[in-house]
Amino acid sequence: MDETVAEFIKRTILKIPLNELTTILKAWDFLSENQLQTVNFRQRKESVVQHLIHLCEEKRASLNDAALLDIIYTQFHQHQKVWDVFQMSKGPGEDVDLFDMKQFKNSFKKILQRALKNVTVSFRETEENAVWIRIAWGTQYTKPNQYKPTYVVYYSQTPYAFKSSSTLRRNTPLLGQALTVASKHHQIVKMDLRSRYLDSLKAIVFKQYNQTFETHNSATPLQERSLGLDINMDSRITHENIVEKERVQRITQETFGDYPQPQLEFAQYKLETKFKSDLNGSILAEREEPLRCLIKFSSPHLLEALKSLAPAALFSRIQKLLCYSASHSQGTQDLSSYVPLYTRC
Amino acid sequence: MAGILAPGLGVLAHLERLENQMSRSRKQSEEPQSVQAQERVLGTKIQKLRHLRDDLKAAVRHRRGSVKACIANVEPNQIVEVNEQEALEEKLENVKAVLQAYHFTGLSGKLTSRGVCVCINTAFEGNLLDSYFVDLVIQKPLRIHHHSVPVFIPLEEIAAKYLQTNIQHFLFSLCEYLNAYSGRKYQADRLQSDFAALLTGPLQRNPLCNLLSFTYKLDPGGQSFPFCARLLYKDLTATLPTDVTVTCQGGEALSSSWEEQRASHETLFCTKPLHQVFASFARREKLDMSLVS
Repeated sequence: MDETVAEFIKRTILKIPLNELTTILKAWDFLSENQLQTVNFRQRKESVVQHLIHLCEEKRASLNDAALLDIIYTQFHQHQKVWDVFQMSKGPGEDVDLFDMKQFKNSFKKILQRALKNVTVSFRETEENAVWIRIAWGTQYTKPNQYKPTYVVYYSQTPYAFKSSSTLRRNTPLLGQALTVASKHHQIVKMDLRSRYLDSLKAIVFKQYNQTFETHNSATPLQERSLGLDINMDSRITHENIVEKERVQRITQETFGDYPQPQLEFAQYKLETKFKSDLNGSILAEREEPLRCLIKFSSPHLLEALKSLAPAALFSRIQKLLCYSASHSQGTQDLSSYVPLYTRC
Repeated sequence: MAGILAPGLGVLAHLERLENQMSRSRKQSEEPQSVQAQERVLGTKIQKLRHLRDDLKAAVRHRRGSVKACIANVEPNQIVEVNEQEALEEKLENVKAVLQAYHFTGLSGKLTSRGVCVCINTAFEGNLLDSYFVDLVIQKPLRIHHHSVPVFIPLEEIAAKYLQTNIQHFLFSLCEYLNAYSGRKYQADRLQSDFAALLTGPLQRNPLCNLLSFTYKLDPGGQSFPFCARLLYKDLTATLPTDVTVTCQGGEALSSSWEEQRASHETLFCTKPLHQVFASFARREKLDMSLVS
């Protein structure tokens, strides 16, 4: 086994927390059950790692096996990376997409290998029709750097791919080209969307964030949900503004639904607006050109935070601002009619 | 002076008092008599009412008894006195059953506060498969609020073509695509689950199930060469492939009988659903086996 490969596997295994080690090794499926049983996982980590490296050497692990382990580690720790979203498009009137995974992998690899002699490309398919691609970049003269790979998650027969953002930006065009050509698309465009949470990005981009639908079998009609007002309150005391509160509740529910919100951390809008003023001689109102500004919202969980604003009665103002700014922000895509969902660095 | 006048007043008042007393005592001596008379009258009235009450009670008891006897003799569907509540509940159950039955038509919907939630129930060869929802907002322009259609079905294309102009066409077109996808998926799933013994490698498939690639042998344990099949479904509204290529893994020139078989397989895959073709392979194999033994 190559020394670099051994070192690579060692560093990868060292990253894995002890409680996840057996799960990840099983998913890797490189070391056999028997081999794994000989390892005492209760030792100090260094000893466990030593033993595992020894077993890998016995089985002659290749660079590809090591890369696969790296992919699995990243799959388990997706949120450690920040993911960008790319959207591809076909030309008009193109043929039906007859996606062939083998063909895609070969084509993708070939394009990268033709452009850069030194590049490591590895694939791992997952159950939800996605393929994880790991690319370690080198140049014409240097070997690939295994410690700064780029990951791409491509959902076949959809126009979407998610790429881990890396510091090596110069390879992005080549990567885009490889992806586009191999998947038989024409163009690729980076969307104004990035997040640590792949699941949230998927929910937004595939519009899968709300999967509850009204049917004749559903027990409670959606309109008649209980308000969650304080039922312990004396029934003789009527809630002030109960009508208003009900209205807010209803709008919140219609906007956000009952499902867990995709996890966004920030949203940024470009706003172009003119000011109206009743006072004569207001500087802002007299401007010929509209005022351009950038509005940024941030929160550990932005959508949940906005949702909880409703009872605080700040909601209608925020909603107006969001709806208004949605129609003005550039490079938009209407992903939801009520809450424009964009994140931008 | 007051003392002289007062006796005058006092005397008159006294006289009045005495007069009143007398008339009161006279009344009192009369009252016992009228009271007694009244008592007698009331007493008889009470007795009459008691009699009446007892008669009525008896009549009610009698009636109840006869009704029970009637019910015991009469068949259930002739009962006229059905509980109103029960009747309503029965109606409700019927309506619910009818609404559920709409699922079998493949396309049903429910009105919502903003529009309609359409439910597409797919089926293939009489098997009810997955359901998909499209929640529409009835506004100008008509809009899809959210849906459960898989991302690789060209929903946006179909919507762009038909949603605004002809909603019926939109729904039927979407039904076509979804039913065809469900059907192809069903065939691929059945092949993997029921006929794994005849496959010599894993089934290669894609999300739309419109490209299937597999190798198979007619006699799993035997000496024959495996066949490679590649099925392309270029028509996304169809459940049968548009292009089929069957090759023999041996590669070199085949004997004429193998060539015949290869060609017949190609035709079979084009004309019959995948799992049915394999079912016929399995039957043939069984037949051959029984002939041999």
